[in-house]
Amino acid sequence: MARIGVFICHCGLNIAGTVDVEQVADVLRDYPGVAFATDYKYMCSEPGQELIQQAIHEQNLDGVVVAACSPAMHETTFRKTAAAAGLNAYRVEIANIREQVSWPHQKEPEEATRKAIATVRSVVEKARYDDPLSPFVLPLVRRALVVGGGIAGLTAALEIAEAGYPVILVERSDRLGGRMAQLSRLYLDFDDSENLLEERIEAVPHHPLIQVLTSAEVTDFGGYVGNFTVEVSGSRSQVPSSPNLKLETLKPETQCFDVGAVILATGYDLYPQTKLPEYGGGRYPDVMDGLQFEAMLKAGEVHRPSDGSVPREIVWIQCAGSRDPMLHQPYCSKICCMYVAKQASAYRRVVPEGQAYVFYIDIRSQGRGYDEFVQQAMEELGVVYLRGKASRIIERDGRLEVWGSDTLSGQAVRIGADLVVLAMAAVPSADSDVLARLLRVATDESGFFAEAHPKLRPVESPTAGVYLAGAAQFPKDIPETVAQASGAAAKVLQLFAQREMVAEPTVAVVDEELCSGCGRCVAACPYDARELHPWKEVATVNAALCQSCGACAVACQNKATVIRNLAPEQVLAMVEAMLA
Amino acid sequence: MTDQAPVSRVLIIGAGIAGMQAALDVANAGYDVLLVDRLSSIGGRMAQLSETFPTLDCAQCILTPRTVEVGHHEHIHLYTYSEVEAVEGEIGDFRVRIRRHATYVDWDKCTGCGFCQEKCPRKVDSDFERYMGKRKAIYTLSPQAVPNKPVIDRENCTFFQRGKCKVCERFCPVGAIDYEQEDTVVEERVGAIIVATGYDLYGLEHMPEYGGGRIPDVIDGLAFERLLSASGPTAGKIKRPSDGEEPREVVFIQCAGSRDPEKHLSYCSKVCCMYTAKQATLYRHRVHEGQTYIFYIDIRAAGKRYDEFTQRAMEDEQVIYLRGKVSRVFQRDGKVMVWGADTLSGQQVQIAADMVVVAPAFLPRPATNPLAEMLGLRQDEHGWLLPRESNIHPVETGRPGMFLAGTGIGPMDIPEAVSHASGAAAQVLKLFSRWSEREREEEQ
Repeated sequence: MARIGVFICHCGLNIAGTVDVEQVADVLRDYPGVAFATDYKYMCSEPGQELIQQAIHEQNLDGVVVAACSPAMHETTFRKTAAAAGLNAYRVEIANIREQVSWPHQKEPEEATRKAIATVRSVVEKARYDDPLSPFVLPLVRRALVVGGGIAGLTAALEIAEAGYPVILVERSDRLGGRMAQLSRLYLDFDDSENLLEERIEAVPHHPLIQVLTSAEVTDFGGYVGNFTVEVSGSRSQVPSSPNLKLETLKPETQCFDVGAVILATGYDLYPQTKLPEYGGGRYPDVMDGLQFEAMLKAGEVHRPSDGSVPREIVWIQCAGSRDPMLHQPYCSKICCMYVAKQASAYRRVVPEGQAYVFYIDIRSQGRGYDEFVQQAMEELGVVYLRGKASRIIERDGRLEVWGSDTLSGQAVRIGADLVVLAMAAVPSADSDVLARLLRVATDESGFFAEAHPKLRPVESPTAGVYLAGAAQFPKDIPETVAQASGAAAKVLQLFAQREMVAEPTVAVVDEELCSGCGRCVAACPYDARELHPWKEVATVNAALCQSCGACAVACQNKATVIRNLAPEQVLAMVEAMLA
Repeated sequence: MTDQAPVSRVLIIGAGIAGMQAALDVANAGYDVLLVDRLSSIGGRMAQLSETFPTLDCAQCILTPRTVEVGHHEHIHLYTYSEVEAVEGEIGDFRVRIRRHATYVDWDKCTGCGFCQEKCPRKVDSDFERYMGKRKAIYTLSPQAVPNKPVIDRENCTFFQRGKCKVCERFCPVGAIDYEQEDTVVEERVGAIIVATGYDLYGLEHMPEYGGGRIPDVIDGLAFERLLSASGPTAGKIKRPSDGEEPREVVFIQCAGSRDPEKHLSYCSKVCCMYTAKQATLYRHRVHEGQTYIFYIDIRAAGKRYDEFTQRAMEDEQVIYLRGKVSRVFQRDGKVMVWGADTLSGQQVQIAADMVVVAPAFLPRPATNPLAEMLGLRQDEHGWLLPRESNIHPVETGRPGMFLAGTGIGPMDIPEAVSHASGAAAQVLKLFSRWSEREREEEQ
């Protein structure tokens, strides 16, 4: 007879506010094979975990079921807890009674309690048949791939190389520096962007452990954390020979590398002006985007593209394509408020008699010194901020007119302008969707790479071994990008410091006696984890690639393939317990 | 550097989410970490929060795995209820003196059973609960505390003050109470230091326009977090402090003390817009028929799914956003009167509220000043710690081997603090990895 312990978590009020947790424990205590059942406020807390360990010892448990939140949250936590008390980690199962019970059934507590009992019983059935397992040990390649040669990629590559590990840096364009190389002086102190960037651009190609590939792209990708193979098409670069930051390139070629970790630092693009017909849709020569204005500031002269004259009145329009869930991007692009304040300030310094207007919805100058910077633009440099949306730009007699509203005065305004700068929404860089598919990393609803957890795992992607740096995850300014890039490097350094890689053993296995080598499992596998053995007439499993989805087990006609600890008799027992 | 080999061990000052993240990043790479916190348990400000924006994940649910992992980590040595008293030396060889304050409980014997706290007759207003609830004179910060070991608050302990009581000693099943315990001072050598000292809130007493802290139903954002928290003093029920009634109209005031260079602090505190939108949303989840108003200057919802979150607060939860400053808050007939301006309609607004929640400016922890002086770190005029250069060296200080993590350098939200902390950890890992490489080479 099994001796399973059942532990019901209140999750504060998250579960206990809806589910009668004491009743669940009482009912389960009498269920066959259950030796012990109790409830506690936060099972994941230290006293909660100690409770489980104590019960394992005192009740001599051979299996544990924790009824709590999603296994994505705490399966690892409780497996470690049980392992520390001497129980095999794979004899620990989670019954999800929060996301699947208490949260969706808040208005029907009795039903929720009944469903919780059925869910826990069913998981007890699974635990009853679980085999004790041990994780696989896999090799670990201590070399990193960094995709993107902007400030995020440069920083991440240097951090890893300076810690003593080789890095392959792949940059799509023919030079390093990314968007930062296009910027003029930076807020808050008008520091020279080029000087700061040069420090990194010089260091990277000179570093003996960094191999820079420019005009290069990732064209094929496979493997798993610790053991990725990547194919890069493009050209091998040499160290910079001229001060213009351009790298000399050799003939195009395709190379393959083994790497253990990947950092995606592919940056951002600007939403195209053609999407905004109300602002001319890119047809007016004197309407430009923020990066075009940066180029003028960087060159040290501000002029109208149409006739080369110095503009006397410039209008900036913020949120061009941002914060517009109906027509454009729903999100705020985060960096525009600050760079617009900087551009308007810089313009007023270059053209002291010029007048600057900024249309805004909210001024988002958050953090130490940022609000003060915008205040200075308004008060000392006389930049006029108008709270409202610009509805149209029209061209009249060689000049532009911006029509909009000032929501503070409640007036419609029309401002004649020599030049209009649109702070276009920042969007994921072109083809990052292709890269996402190639690397099998998730993206969010706007196409930015998704982080593993929005609060606590901001630099990790949900794909093990793939990390995120900079605006590829979401628009962010330089200091935040650099901190995050270093953070992503920290994750790689942690991974490379491991003596060995371990992988989950709860994967597909083949009973070779039953396997006919028909290959249906190979066709069914979405992860390239199944192959036919080169000479034996059986199918094999690459345990490192297998995600335990079960597609092969379903496809197998002979029941030769099963997922460990999800065997057919186990699943049937779970279903029966659920229906009982 | 001295002739001795550099020490691949890091001191991290502050065990909030930033300090813990940095500690885990360094420790998971196999290096030793000394993690010091002033309080008796780790988790910092995040341990006080209810649910987090924009996903409404409960803070405890995502934090406790971290605190437990830190608490159990073979490479992390916790010094809680402790302070760094002196630091000498330089990169690779800092000599650190840590004072562990007397807890009057032998933590080696204590099992964390909680009997002492249950039996202690002396109740005290709890700082952790932002004075929304009580604790005992012998206490842990929360039932989920790591380490789950109590301390005796000498100032409020009946035995220490009047010489009689000893209830805790009588009920302790393992004889862990030790009234004779004294501070201990430990000397350690480390090769690098990460400062993760965190933030405080600007006190209501500085803001007479909002009642100056004398109106019981005017509370700050952290106090409201405790009311919203399932493990808080009201178990997640919204009760106003004056009479325990459920408030039907709640006014939130943003930028309280922020963005006000004349009277208060010049900077924007960065996180208040989002946490206020979250608090108004959570309040509406608890009190379905409740009405909320938020006074704001700008809505600063810049981050992934942040703007969408505030939009939902407006549209789905019918939170009324009023663009303007509040000029006066005062009591009348059991209500809290809020007078302000709505700059969009140009109208004066008067709201008779049941409760007011202000979002006060962030400040560096007061202990940041002496610490910065001791470590030789630069601060700005408000006391925030300054990086060596803010654009491409955001986590480095002017002193080699010393790094910054989290809100000690300025207001930031949890994901930014976590990224930043990992960034600081990378600097440390870089050093340690080079040093161990050199050691290996020398051995060969």
